[in-house]
Amino acid sequence: MTKKRKRQDDFHKVKLKVGKKKPKVENATNVNFRSKRIHLPEQLNRDDGGPTTHRQLSIKDLLSQLHHYNSTVKQDALQGLRELLASHPYLVEQQASTVLPEVAALFTDKDGGVRVAATRLLRFLAQCIPAEHVAPFFPLLSAHLTCAMTHIAPGIQEDALRVLDVLLEHYPALLSQRHAVLLANFLELISQRRMGGAGGGARGGAGGDKGAGKGSYALSISTSRSVTAQQWRLTVLLRLSRFLQAVVEERPTEDRAEGAGFLSVWGGEKAVVTPLEVTWEEQACRTGAVRVFENSGAKPTPHSTYRLRPETEPGAGVSEGLCSAETVQGFAETLVPLLLEVWVEAMGGDRAPSDSGHLLSEEAMALMFQILTILQLLRRLAPHRDQQDMLDAWFRNSYLNEFKQHFMKNFPYCQLEIARHKKKTDAKRNRQQVVGGAAASGNVEPLALNVMLCQVMVSLSLRGRGHVTGQDADWLGPIRAFVTDTLSNGGKLGSKQLAALLEVVWRMIITQQSRLVTEELLQAVYIQYQQRNLGLPVRTLLLRFFSQLYIQEHQNHPHIARSRMLARWLASVPVQLVQLGSRNPQLSAQLLQTVQSAAAWGNNDVLRNLQAHACNIYDPQEGCIVVLPAELQQHLVQILYFMPAFPADVLACLSHACNTGRVSASLATALIRTVHLRSPLSGWSSSSHDVPVRDVDYLSFLFSTLTGFSSEGLRELQQADEEGLLPASALSPLSVFSTPLQQFTHHWDVVEEVCHCLETLGSRVQCFEILQNAIIKNLCGLVVLPDCVCAAMLRCVPRLLDVNFLPSDTLLHFLSDCSLSMLSLLLQLEQSARKRDAVWEACFAALSTVPRLLRLLLQSLRVCDLCEEELPLLAQLLSLLLQHTQLRNHMAANNALLQTIIQDLTRFYGSETREQWLTDLLYCYSVTLSGHRANMAVRDIY
Amino acid sequence: MSAPMEVVLSADSAGLMWNCAVFDLHTGSNVLSYRGGNSSARSLTVLNGEYILGAQLGKNFINVWEIQRKDQLQQKIVCPGIVNCLVASPDGLYVLAGIAEAVYLWEISTGNLLAVLSRHYQDLSCLRFTDDSSHFVSGGKDNRALIWNLASVVQLDSSRVPEPRHVLSCHSLPITDIHCGLMGPQARVATASLDQTVKLWEISSGEMLLSVLFDVSIMSVTLDPCEYFLFCGGSDGSIFQVSLCSTAVSRDKTFQSDGEGNQVFKGHRNLVTCLSVSMDGTLLLSGSHDETVRLWDVQSKQCIRCIHHKGQVTNAVIVPAPANMFLPDSRPGITLPRFSRHLNPSEQGEGVATGGACLRLGTRGQDSDETYLEKRDRLHSLMCAVTDKSVFGDGENSKVRVSELEEEVRTLKKINKDLYEFSTQLLTKPN
Repeated sequence: MTKKRKRQDDFHKVKLKVGKKKPKVENATNVNFRSKRIHLPEQLNRDDGGPTTHRQLSIKDLLSQLHHYNSTVKQDALQGLRELLASHPYLVEQQASTVLPEVAALFTDKDGGVRVAATRLLRFLAQCIPAEHVAPFFPLLSAHLTCAMTHIAPGIQEDALRVLDVLLEHYPALLSQRHAVLLANFLELISQRRMGGAGGGARGGAGGDKGAGKGSYALSISTSRSVTAQQWRLTVLLRLSRFLQAVVEERPTEDRAEGAGFLSVWGGEKAVVTPLEVTWEEQACRTGAVRVFENSGAKPTPHSTYRLRPETEPGAGVSEGLCSAETVQGFAETLVPLLLEVWVEAMGGDRAPSDSGHLLSEEAMALMFQILTILQLLRRLAPHRDQQDMLDAWFRNSYLNEFKQHFMKNFPYCQLEIARHKKKTDAKRNRQQVVGGAAASGNVEPLALNVMLCQVMVSLSLRGRGHVTGQDADWLGPIRAFVTDTLSNGGKLGSKQLAALLEVVWRMIITQQSRLVTEELLQAVYIQYQQRNLGLPVRTLLLRFFSQLYIQEHQNHPHIARSRMLARWLASVPVQLVQLGSRNPQLSAQLLQTVQSAAAWGNNDVLRNLQAHACNIYDPQEGCIVVLPAELQQHLVQILYFMPAFPADVLACLSHACNTGRVSASLATALIRTVHLRSPLSGWSSSSHDVPVRDVDYLSFLFSTLTGFSSEGLRELQQADEEGLLPASALSPLSVFSTPLQQFTHHWDVVEEVCHCLETLGSRVQCFEILQNAIIKNLCGLVVLPDCVCAAMLRCVPRLLDVNFLPSDTLLHFLSDCSLSMLSLLLQLEQSARKRDAVWEACFAALSTVPRLLRLLLQSLRVCDLCEEELPLLAQLLSLLLQHTQLRNHMAANNALLQTIIQDLTRFYGSETREQWLTDLLYCYSVTLSGHRANMAVRDIY
Repeated sequence: MSAPMEVVLSADSAGLMWNCAVFDLHTGSNVLSYRGGNSSARSLTVLNGEYILGAQLGKNFINVWEIQRKDQLQQKIVCPGIVNCLVASPDGLYVLAGIAEAVYLWEISTGNLLAVLSRHYQDLSCLRFTDDSSHFVSGGKDNRALIWNLASVVQLDSSRVPEPRHVLSCHSLPITDIHCGLMGPQARVATASLDQTVKLWEISSGEMLLSVLFDVSIMSVTLDPCEYFLFCGGSDGSIFQVSLCSTAVSRDKTFQSDGEGNQVFKGHRNLVTCLSVSMDGTLLLSGSHDETVRLWDVQSKQCIRCIHHKGQVTNAVIVPAPANMFLPDSRPGITLPRFSRHLNPSEQGEGVATGGACLRLGTRGQDSDETYLEKRDRLHSLMCAVTDKSVFGDGENSKVRVSELEEEVRTLKKINKDLYEFSTQLLTKPN
């Protein structure tokens, strides 16, 4: 019983009743707390394995979503990828290997939106990844591209072109390596293979029956496209031309200059070896040697023009597609008939053939322009110049008649003006341009079309000896007329058009080999050239055209050499040089190059005009020689060598130019040397029949260069009262005008060169006599002299003096005055080291070479005339002379004179205390004389 | 005294004592002199080791001497104009003369004028052949140097005007001198110009390799045979040496003296017009307008010898002494024909009959087919043979040698025996 009751106690039943509150259980959880989330994104990321998009999708998720069956999901995934990669740029590098193949696979997706998104993503990736990083994935990319381009669905084909655009923009080099495959795809896009029984849309077109024999392709149209066949072809051809452009430009072969643009024809061939440029001074200082020869010179460089055995390139692989003329030819064989068909359709497609066949709609014009561009590029595909010629000949043989028939029938084309009335067409056009991807395709000027047509046609004209006069006249005539009209009607042309036109002119001049044609064309170009206010690029082009025509071609082609227009242009060059002045150094450089070549080649027109304008060109005030930059000045100096004659006035100009500071000292020495070489006195020029420089003129040139100041300048100096002037006194018989340091050093360098020239003139005695007369006549009477003139005289006299010749007393007196004045100037003024050294050197050289000069100098020192302040100066001067080792013997020889001077000095110096300077002087004196006696004693012993 | 290996051939513009003279390279003594007229610059040339040709200064003929008959002028070749420069091909088959702006090419064997090349615009200043006579270079006062292929020039195709293989047009003032290195078509050419530069080119490609800018005009240039150094004679009388390959190893850098004085040969007082290096590259010869020819030691840059002339030196060159030079009795292998003055002698009914085939063979053309590689192999085997023989001996040589040695041993034994017998007799003789 109790047992039972107990059990009941343990399991006490709580009675629940309706309407009463439920009692709380004992173990109930208290929920009166609030929780807060702690968000640790970094930690989570790490766990997750990468950053995510705003939808929390990591790159792995996104990539897997790309394979989703739903196109919206794929599109979103592509967008997400773009977002993710844009916000985390480091991922691009990391994940390129996974992302690129996935994206490439979507080029051929069924859904248009996905393809657009894929292209966008590709564009984004292309901006981030450099070409060398893409290179490993490029085979895959291009395989997918090819797949898309050859896809059966037209929409995918269209979008493939966009992908191509992206790749062309960013990786032209990589893409152009795959040209073998891609070019065929282009053909597939607008045509169909004939072989397998031409299907649905294939049709022959106008040129189809001709094409049936050669090419296995026929133009195709498909009705399912959203655009017209013509528009579609335009978009394809535009890409094709861009692609070919890339191939031409990126070709790794040697002739890079070929693809450099329109100017290539007369751009000349660039050197493949970059030569070492060394100047002697650098080389001498550096003490290292120049490395000239690669492989220590054992192997010849690979640029040799000799080809001993055919080079076999085992590893060429893909890139050998368009390397030879044959492959290009093969490609052209299929492409050109297609292009012709497109052309015919564009011509006839618009409207019924009428008499206004030359009027074209905008679209047809764009199409034609692309066709011509492609033809032009095909020509340039051949890597070597000789192959190019071969290709030209092949084009001529195979297609001249077709080209003539189709292209030249309505040759100067114009634009058909259509009133744009329909909104619908506008909308359509806009859409078309979106597909075309470039506004450039839409508006092609008729001029550009015509010029391009000229270029294509002219390249077909024959070159060389096989030419018969009158051949090709039927189609070259209109071209010539067009070019002449365009150039000479006074209109302004853009530089691009002009470059193309000039190329046409160049080619025609060379191939036609007729003087009449050359004159006509050059006349037209000259009219263009004579226009005023041409833009700089246009002016440069025209100038380059003429100068390169002269420099490169005129030797091989006598009809060019004899052209009167060219001669007229050449004759006008020196005048232009003068007129141009310092305004445009680039144009001046071009002109100078022409003048230099023409002068070197003895062109009479140029030489005559150069002679006539020499005074203006070499004018020391505002002539080209002073206003142009230094490297052009050098050309001017070099041109001087070819001048037929140097009249006195030109030499006067040159002498002034040498001494103005605007021509550097090294250039001035080069100038003097050039004149020296032309003078018969130098013994260099062997031809004795003509004398370019008369001896009198040459010597006066040298003397006035030596002086450095014109006679007017010196005369003005006599009256002038400037601060640089040191007044004359007993210690400085001449009053010396101190020139600026720069002028002094410049003049000093010039003097060195003049002295060298005078030294090598042959008979020294005569030369010195002339110099002596000139000095006596021009300088001896003067009271004020610039210090550089004094230094120059002191420098050149001892260098030129012959031992057998006795200089005149007047000269010696003048020189002793000079040296005394210079010495006292040095003692009084603070001078720069360079100047002081130069003057010391000159003075001592003069005094030691001419012993009489020293005696005269000492004789002119009259102590009684000096005032008190000048005595220390004199003492300093004497001690300087005494200290100089070279002069010691001479001083000792004048011992008596010296003794009286010193005695006078001590007598006149009244002060009681013995100053330092006097002590010094006496010390020097005793040392010199005792040393001399010792020397004498030593000599006696011997 | 044995005949010298190399001699100095020099000429001056005065021609008072002789037209040109031959000096011994090492003693400086005058060995031979050739009289008559005087020679213009860069026009003295030795033809085939048998004749000396020199263009008369300012006149339109070429003086010819047989190399062994020193005093007599052998003949004068009259040319269409004043000859500026002259050179004979090293194989002795052709002579080139620069007359005004045209290059005239004569064939020695017939005297025919083969070509007149007028591609220069101004007078020519220098002509040089490559060492294998396959190419020549012409330099003119129109700033350009042209490289010609001799074979393409000689082709008797009247319809085609010969074109130079390369046009070297980087100079901006007249070219003064040209030097052609060794190695035939792979040679390098150095050109000197008044524009103060010397440029080094490659014949095979026509590309410029090096341009050195000096501060004076350069009048003459030469390379040593190894092409280690480029020597350039300036218009102020100094000769500059440019080192073309770095031979100095870092370990002897401590002893280098200052760069400036190290690389200039100073001594001339006027234009240095001709330079030439001896075969072994140790001696440099220079001729100048100060009327001296100087010989320098390349290593120490000292002037070893000075040969005074009576006028401005126009030609000075070191040549290997021709064999005939010191044999008074020798005779030239071929007599010089009359040089024709017009391009086509057959049309004027002289020279080769029309239709006759003209066969031109080099004097050494047939047997000198051996290539350098073969020569090298031959020399190598020769050298090896010498060393091998001294150490091991081989084949029949060794057999002969062994028998010789045995013979000698036998003689020695016999002598020994004799000596022994003699001494035993002497000792055992009962006195």
